[in-house]
Amino acid sequence: MADDAYRQWLAELDAESRRKQQAFLERLAAKLGRPRVTEPPPHPFRGAPDFWKEYELSPEERIARFIANFQAAGGHAFRLSGLEEAARFIADRARELGVSAVIRQDEPLLAGLGLESLLSGVEVRVWNDDPAEDWIARAAGAGLGVILADFAVAHTASIVTLSARGKGRSVSLLPPALAAIVPTGRLYTRLGEVLSRFDETGREALPAGIHFISGPSRSADIENDLTIGVHGPGIVYALIVDM
Amino acid sequence: MSAAETAAKTVKQRAEKALRDDFLRQAVRFTTDRLRSARLQAAQDQGNWEAWRERGRQIRSHTIAHLDYYLNQFAENARANGAHVHFAETAEEAVRIVQAIAERKGARAVAKSKSMVTEELHLNKALEDIGVQAIETDLGEYIIQLAGETPSHIIIPSIHKTRRQVADLLSREAGEELPTDTPSLAAFVRRRLREVFLTADIGMTGCNFAIAETGSIVVFENEGNARMVSTVPKTQITLMGMERIIPTWADLEVMATLLPRSATGQRLTVYMSGISGPRRPGDGDGPEELHIVIVDNGRSLQLGDPEFQELLNCIRCGACLNVCPVYRHIGGHAYGGTYTGPIGAVLKPAFRKNVAEWDDVADASSLCGACAEACPVKIPLHDMLVSLRRRKVEAGYAKRPEALAMKTYAAVMGDAGRLKRALRLGRLALKPFARDGVIRARIGPLAGWTRHRVFPAPAGEPFRERWASLQRELERELAPAAPVVRQRLEEALRRRKRSRETEGGAKRNGG
Repeated sequence: MADDAYRQWLAELDAESRRKQQAFLERLAAKLGRPRVTEPPPHPFRGAPDFWKEYELSPEERIARFIANFQAAGGHAFRLSGLEEAARFIADRARELGVSAVIRQDEPLLAGLGLESLLSGVEVRVWNDDPAEDWIARAAGAGLGVILADFAVAHTASIVTLSARGKGRSVSLLPPALAAIVPTGRLYTRLGEVLSRFDETGREALPAGIHFISGPSRSADIENDLTIGVHGPGIVYALIVDM
Repeated sequence: MSAAETAAKTVKQRAEKALRDDFLRQAVRFTTDRLRSARLQAAQDQGNWEAWRERGRQIRSHTIAHLDYYLNQFAENARANGAHVHFAETAEEAVRIVQAIAERKGARAVAKSKSMVTEELHLNKALEDIGVQAIETDLGEYIIQLAGETPSHIIIPSIHKTRRQVADLLSREAGEELPTDTPSLAAFVRRRLREVFLTADIGMTGCNFAIAETGSIVVFENEGNARMVSTVPKTQITLMGMERIIPTWADLEVMATLLPRSATGQRLTVYMSGISGPRRPGDGDGPEELHIVIVDNGRSLQLGDPEFQELLNCIRCGACLNVCPVYRHIGGHAYGGTYTGPIGAVLKPAFRKNVAEWDDVADASSLCGACAEACPVKIPLHDMLVSLRRRKVEAGYAKRPEALAMKTYAAVMGDAGRLKRALRLGRLALKPFARDGVIRARIGPLAGWTRHRVFPAPAGEPFRERWASLQRELERELAPAAPVVRQRLEEALRRRKRSRETEGGAKRNGG
């Protein structure tokens, strides 16, 4: 079978790569004028400077900073009273944009928004709830993607989303508009607070895709003229919800 | 300018062509000004910028000094994540690996996001050679690919194209006349490249950083095309320079603080993606197969070389381009290589240790040091340019007229009589060309200067010859002081001496 032949070829390629790896690394060590380093070297400069690690904003400051920086990057950020208001906000925007389809992550909290009932006449799909469906095409056809942020960072105004079975990367990428619910408890001050978690949880626990999103897709490649939404969503709402 | 044309000429010839292009000069100056002030503002907003730069340098230097360990750790962890890792010592090996994968996959189209390494490998051409279409999807890269050109700036590759030119290129592609406003042009590109993302067999990305402890690759971008090519196609190939490694995610905070601010002044690029292996079982998107090709291609020549090892610290932000007075005048293509500006002037010769192959790209610098000052990881680029020039001379590759000039200079400066005679000769020789105190004639070695400027004519009586009489004048005027002045000075000195004595005495007595 062609598939088997391919897998065998790939296995040979991998075996060859492992052999080459040793010679490759021996050569680097020789250039550096010492034997191969095989024990973890002490890394005294790990991470941000110490003064930065002490920097922490209060919860209220974090919200204010996130909103200011997200708006400055061309995004729209709002603080809402709760999920009910968030649901209404998303439904209103979907109607304003005139979308015919919405796609959302498969998250209980997002199911709780009840978008299906708020948006009659609009198709609301849940990512990957049917293995027979072409989900990438579904996301590409949707006018609005709805996600629940796994984390958020005030200093850089970033929404963080981790890929999973029910949380396709396409949901936050293919539709021309994106709405992200950001629970206040998931909003941190510094980038390092979120990044260090991935060191702590370790390789085995990492998802395939970790995505920091800090505003709408942009480009300045035509005569320095800012273009929004050239590939990713051009309209991005960050909805900060107390919970 | 095509790649072949770029390679055919010297830096000087390419620079002259660039200097005649008014739009290019204006566009480069405008863009570099914009990026430079954005960087300064961002650095100021962040605060403690020097501490961040120093930490960036420390992390990069530490990683490079232990590159064999961290690269091994990265490869093992990336494999554990399910990726296929390949090592390529040369550009040819890297190209062969990519071609083999594309052929085995029966691929027809590869959707590419921005990657300087693939430019370095001329990978698009190599894929075309085996009948695979490689499509650049970064807006700027897409434009210059349509024009059949190469990037002229690391961050804004199409800096040299006018709106009219862009509209013409895209209209030809669209088969209809497109309006020239940016939103219309961008909307066409969005539609066209959306089809490319959805139908490409392979997605190809570069790699800004690779995290050793978890085997993850990290990509910074603003448009979302790198996310597209790593989300939609079934196969992903990532090309990475072997020095892209950092040890941990915590270290990424430092790089994420330095890179976007230094490149465009952003707090963070719109997208920062960490990719750890192919899609997990049950995932509905992401590549089913992920290949990571680790490329040396001359990088290891810098390891263990005290003058050049820090070159591998580079994070490819382009800040050195934006502050370089030479780049700002001649733009990227004049450098004649994949990498441009001060970093390109060093990388190009450094990646090829064979001095005979170097052209004069290391001469395209005024050695002002603005590049080193702007560098977020403190690479001493101007020192490296001096080292390159020195090595070229030491290896006997200096141009013959330059070597002769240097020898003559040494002979003349080493003998006062010879210098005097030479200066008089020079003055006499230039006299016929001087008008109103300046020289405009384009003669001999002066022509390079006088083509665009005037050269001051030598003074009628040069300083060296005036010196004897000046010295006499000075001595004459210093010798006799007026008696009143002299008396006043002496009185002042006595007062000062007395006050110092009483002070000292008071201390000794009173305690």
